[in-house]
Amino acid sequence: MAIALAAVICLASGYLLISIGWPDSRPSRSLQVMKLSLAGGFGIGISSISFFLARMFGTNHFVVWDITLLASICALHYLARPGFSAAFTAKAVIDFEIPLWLRRIVIAAFVFALMSASYSATMRAITHPHGDGWDAFAIWNLHARLLFLGGSHWRDGFNALIPWSHPDYPLLLPAASAHFWSYAGIDSPMLPAALGLVFTSSTLVLLVSSLFQLRGPNAALVAGIALSSTPFFAEHGATQYADVPLSFFILATIVLLHFGSHSGPETQSRRLNRCRALAGMAAGFAAWTKNEGLLFLTALLFAFCLFSITKESKDSAGEFSKPKQNLLAPTVLGAIPILALIAWFKHSVATSGDLLSTPEVMIHRILTPSRYGIILRWYAKEFLRFGDWWIFPGTVLLVAFYFLNREKGLSERDPLLRVSITALTLTLAGYFAIYVITPLDLHWHLRFSLNRLFLQLWPATIFLFFLSVGRQTPLNFSK
Amino acid sequence: MLASSAHSTRTAASLAFLILLSLLSSARMIFTGPKPWHFEVDSIGARSDKRFATVKSHLPTNGIIGYIGETGDSALPDYYLTQYALAPLVVDRSAHHSVVIGNFPHTLPSEIPSDLKLVQDFGNGVLLFAGKETK
Repeated sequence: MAIALAAVICLASGYLLISIGWPDSRPSRSLQVMKLSLAGGFGIGISSISFFLARMFGTNHFVVWDITLLASICALHYLARPGFSAAFTAKAVIDFEIPLWLRRIVIAAFVFALMSASYSATMRAITHPHGDGWDAFAIWNLHARLLFLGGSHWRDGFNALIPWSHPDYPLLLPAASAHFWSYAGIDSPMLPAALGLVFTSSTLVLLVSSLFQLRGPNAALVAGIALSSTPFFAEHGATQYADVPLSFFILATIVLLHFGSHSGPETQSRRLNRCRALAGMAAGFAAWTKNEGLLFLTALLFAFCLFSITKESKDSAGEFSKPKQNLLAPTVLGAIPILALIAWFKHSVATSGDLLSTPEVMIHRILTPSRYGIILRWYAKEFLRFGDWWIFPGTVLLVAFYFLNREKGLSERDPLLRVSITALTLTLAGYFAIYVITPLDLHWHLRFSLNRLFLQLWPATIFLFFLSVGRQTPLNFSK
Repeated sequence: MLASSAHSTRTAASLAFLILLSLLSSARMIFTGPKPWHFEVDSIGARSDKRFATVKSHLPTNGIIGYIGETGDSALPDYYLTQYALAPLVVDRSAHHSVVIGNFPHTLPSEIPSDLKLVQDFGNGVLLFAGKETK
């Protein structure tokens, strides 16, 4: 009963927050599904922050704290209701044209891929109740226990005496687990497992429902097949690691930016600013999930700035400058509250990370060419195998599909697509730079982390791929 | 017109191949995943929470305690599992504390460090020591 109450508060907070940022008086069914998938992840993020703030201020009245927070979001929802017509739909642009027989195959294949992924993830969650892999209990669930069981001494656990538990890692997942445990009254391993499954399913639903809006049902279902038939995604979603939750927030950021990318009349522009603020909030939640999320947020902002500087030479149509400038400010504003919390955590609680050494050692590593060769070879190898596919790597299938269906010059006509691709590429480059300077054994570090780093970007990559491949026109939106 | 038709055919054919080859991996997920009729829950719970359930009530509720354990391949995982089970205590892998937990799941130690005094043997290789500071 208490858990049901916690789940209702979590989902209601997430849905209301999404509705503040995305008011819509006449949402279509697919848009409603999309908002619900976003609400799940955002709700967990809010629960996490709520619990962490309660710990920060030393209160144990979590239910009162949560209800106060929910009431505040309700009040904000009422006060911020739009004074403009808020009905909004994205106009799908040229879905894949396929015959009826293939359409039926696509639907059947989607159902099969979805069921096999659900089966695999659920069975793994049940057979590995404490998580599948050392990081699950040695980092994420350990931090959750420190927060939940530590009471007023919760900070003691984030201690340099146990550096292997990475006390510098952000706390979205641990604090969310602790939040639900505080309602249950016990640190049951089933709750982190359930959170993992919620993030896995929400990522898939968000991918399909957003592409349904932006491209149409065929592209959406094929994208869903591509993600759910990635064994590593389904299996890893049940491991209680933070990589799939991070992939959800990276996908949410890029999806929300695309829904908030249209520049139109003043009222439409105001409405879309809220959507952009939600995108910033999703990026903030990504940074609160893992340090790699902070890298993604930096890469995204850098990508915006990069195209801001080069717009004169690249944008002959002159359509890019205004929407781009409008995109950046609300996105940053949406991320700031969560970034402030992260800054406090990093400054006041976390110990220093283990990826930096002395400047001399780092310079020596940067100037060692063999390290670049090793990392490049691992990147190439993982490109083919990170998804744990059988026989045909999903990445190769997408590349082949691209060359058979490509449309030249689309990215030049769709600036946000360019920004998104650049952000993901810069994030990958950031991972590369970390490997160059890592003080850990390079082969060991690559072996135990690179596939997960690729997985973090995989849902967003599939989204951008099916948003653009075979498309002949830029996105269009109508009021 | 012809070009458009060729484009549609190419799209349909490439989609069909993409789906077919993707489903190979989906099928394998079912065959290689855990089976409902051969259900085996992993040993993490048994090696951590259950193993240390009794000793936990004899330990302080917060602070730092020491740890000694076996050597070998399982030494590090055993230590991690001890920390996981005994949170919110911080378990330092050192004997220089007033309270020290001993974890010997496979072989009991032939001799213990001279600065430790056995307080209680909880069985199953779980030992509680008093460290030098309490002497």
